[in-house]
Amino acid sequence: MSSLPPTSGESEAVGTSDPVRSSGSADSARSASAVDAKLPKRRRSGSPGQFRDIWNRYRRNKLALVGTFIVGLLVFLAIFEPILTPFDPFEQNLLNTTAPPDSRHFFGTDVLGRDMFSAIIYGAKLAVIVGVVTVLMSLLVGVVFGAIAGFRGKFWDTLIMRLTDIFLAFPLIIGAILVVRTFGAGITPVIIALVVFGWATTARLMRGQTLALRESEYVEAARSIGASDGRIILRHIMPNAIAPVLVYAFTNIGVVVVAMASLSFLGVGVPANVPEWGRMLSQAYGFIKVPGQSHLWAFPALAICITTLGFAFVADGLRDALDPKLRGGN
Amino acid sequence: MGKFILRRVGQAVIVVLAAILLVYVATYALGDPFASTGDRQVPPEIAAQNRAIFGLDQPLPIQYINYIGNLVTGDLGLDFDQRRPVIDMLGAVVPNTARLALVAILIDVAIGVIAGIIAAVKRYSFADVLVTVVSTVAIGVPTFVIGLGLLAFLSGVGPFPVVPRSFTDQVPWYQEVLLPAFALAIIDAAFVARLMRGSMLEVLRADYIRTARAKGVSERRVIGVHALRNSIIPVVTYVGVSLGTLLGGAIITEAIFQYDGVGYLLFRAIGSNNAPVISAVIVFGVIAYTVLSLIVDILYAFLDPRIRLN
Repeated sequence: MSSLPPTSGESEAVGTSDPVRSSGSADSARSASAVDAKLPKRRRSGSPGQFRDIWNRYRRNKLALVGTFIVGLLVFLAIFEPILTPFDPFEQNLLNTTAPPDSRHFFGTDVLGRDMFSAIIYGAKLAVIVGVVTVLMSLLVGVVFGAIAGFRGKFWDTLIMRLTDIFLAFPLIIGAILVVRTFGAGITPVIIALVVFGWATTARLMRGQTLALRESEYVEAARSIGASDGRIILRHIMPNAIAPVLVYAFTNIGVVVVAMASLSFLGVGVPANVPEWGRMLSQAYGFIKVPGQSHLWAFPALAICITTLGFAFVADGLRDALDPKLRGGN
Repeated sequence: MGKFILRRVGQAVIVVLAAILLVYVATYALGDPFASTGDRQVPPEIAAQNRAIFGLDQPLPIQYINYIGNLVTGDLGLDFDQRRPVIDMLGAVVPNTARLALVAILIDVAIGVIAGIIAAVKRYSFADVLVTVVSTVAIGVPTFVIGLGLLAFLSGVGPFPVVPRSFTDQVPWYQEVLLPAFALAIIDAAFVARLMRGSMLEVLRADYIRTARAKGVSERRVIGVHALRNSIIPVVTYVGVSLGTLLGGAIITEAIFQYDGVGYLLFRAIGSNNAPVISAVIVFGVIAYTVLSLIVDILYAFLDPRIRLN
C-alpha cells in the first residue's frame, strides 16, 4: 500500500483517539487544540496513525510473529544462499550417497550424493523466488482485469468473468501440469503455469471490491469534479479495495510453494538435477520405509511445512490486523 | 427456479467446452504429443503416418470438433502406449477414485462438524483453543507432506496395507482406502471445523435460538436441531466443491499411496508421455468439478431464495 487512502485525515483522527490507555481520549474531548498540537508531531515521527494501528493489532497475534520470523528467515536464506551453503547444491558425489547427517554434512547426503543442507537452502531460495514472482504477477494481472471488470461493467465484466470461470474450472495442479507439459520443464514454465491458473481468483476478488466502491458517494464526488476513470481507479478505488486482495495474495504464496513442490514431485516441475524440495521428496520416495534413511525425506518435508505455515500465519495476522471486523466470525 | 437452473447449466456447458479447447490446444497444437520419440527412433515419415492414424494431420478446428463429437459418444481415442481405448482405462479407475473421495469426505465431515460444534458451544474453553490451534496448523501443512508422513509411519501397521502393493496379497478396498482418505481428509476437516465454528457462533446469536431456549427446548435439541440446520449450509457448499476436486483425481495423494485411481492414472500417463490419457483425465477432472459446482449452486439457490432472484 504505497499510497494512502483519500480518507487519511479521518483515519489519523481515529489514530489519535483510539488508544484509551494513553489517556488521550478524555483530554481530546475537552480541548480540540490539544489534539491539533499533537498531530504535527505524529506526522514528523513518520508513522501515520493507520499503519501504527495495523502494526499494534498485528503484533498482538503471537502466531503472526512466529510467521514473520519464518518468512524473514526464508528471505535471509534466499538472499545469502551462495554464502550460506557449505557445498555446491548441484554437485553430485556418487561415492557418498544417502549418508546420514554428521558434522560435515549437517543434513546428510541425498541419493545423488549432494549435500542435503546446501540443497535445502537452495530450495528455500527457489521457493521464495517462485512464490513471490508468481504471486506478484498474478496480482498484477488479477488486479488489472478485476478493476476493469468491476469498473467498466457490462461487456467487459461478462467477458472477464466468463474467462475466470474457465480457468477456475481446472484444479490448480491439473491446470499447471497442462501448461508445464506444453512448455517443457523449468522454473519459468512453472511460474507461467501458476500465474495462468492463479490470476482468476484475484480478479474476482478485485472485481467484487471495485463493484462495491464504484457506487460509493466519494467516488461519485470525485467524478463530479471531473476526475478521469484512470485516476478514480488508481487513486480512489484501489487504495480502499486492495487490502483483502493483498491478504489473499499473501496466503497464496504458501499455496504456490506447495504447488511447485507438487509439480516437481510428479516429475513435471523443475528439471531432475535442480535441488528443489518436491524433487528431493520424489527422489527420496523409494527410501521412505528404509530404516536410517529418514533424513532423505524428513528435511525437505519439514522445510515445506515450515514455509507454508510461516506464510499462512503471516496472512492470518495480516487479515486480522487489516480488518478487525473479520475477527468476530473467525 | 427453472430459469435459474437453465442459465446455470448453459454457463457450465460453455465453460466445459472452452476448457476442453484449452486442453486440446495445449496438448495437441502447442505441445507435440510425439515429442519424446525423436527422429532417430521414429523416422519423419513414420511420425507423419502416426499423426494421420490419430487424426492429427487435420486442421485444428476440425480436430476439436471431432474430439468433442467423440467425447459425446464416449470415445476418448486410443492411448499411445498399447492402443487401448482410453475410456476403458478411465472407467476402470473412476470407481476407485469415487470411493476414495466419498470416504475422505465422510471422515472430514464427521471430524470437522463435531469439532466445530464443540468449539462453538464451549467458546474460549480449552477444547475451543485446541480446535483453533490444530486447525490453523493442519491447514498450513500440505496434503502431500501429510501423505508422506502417514506412508512413512503407518503403512504396513495394523489394518493399513503396505504401500507398494504386492500382487499376491488381496487387500480389501476398505483397508486400502483408509490411509489416502485420512491424508486427504485432515486438511478439509480443519477447514470444515473452522467454517462450522464460525457459522454456529453466528447462528447461536440469532433470536430464534433464544426463543427456542425460552420455550424450554433442551440444549441438546437447540444445538443439534435448531442451530445445526442453519449453520451447516456453508459446510455443505464447501464439501460439495471439495468433492468435485477430489473426483477429478487427488493426484498427489493417489501417487504417494499408489492408489489405483484417476490421479494415479494421470501420474503414470505423465511418466510415459501418453497424451490421449493425460488430456482425457484432465477433461474428466474439469467436468467432475464443474458438475459438482453446478449441483452445489442449484442446491444453494434452492436453500436460499435470495440467490436465485438475483
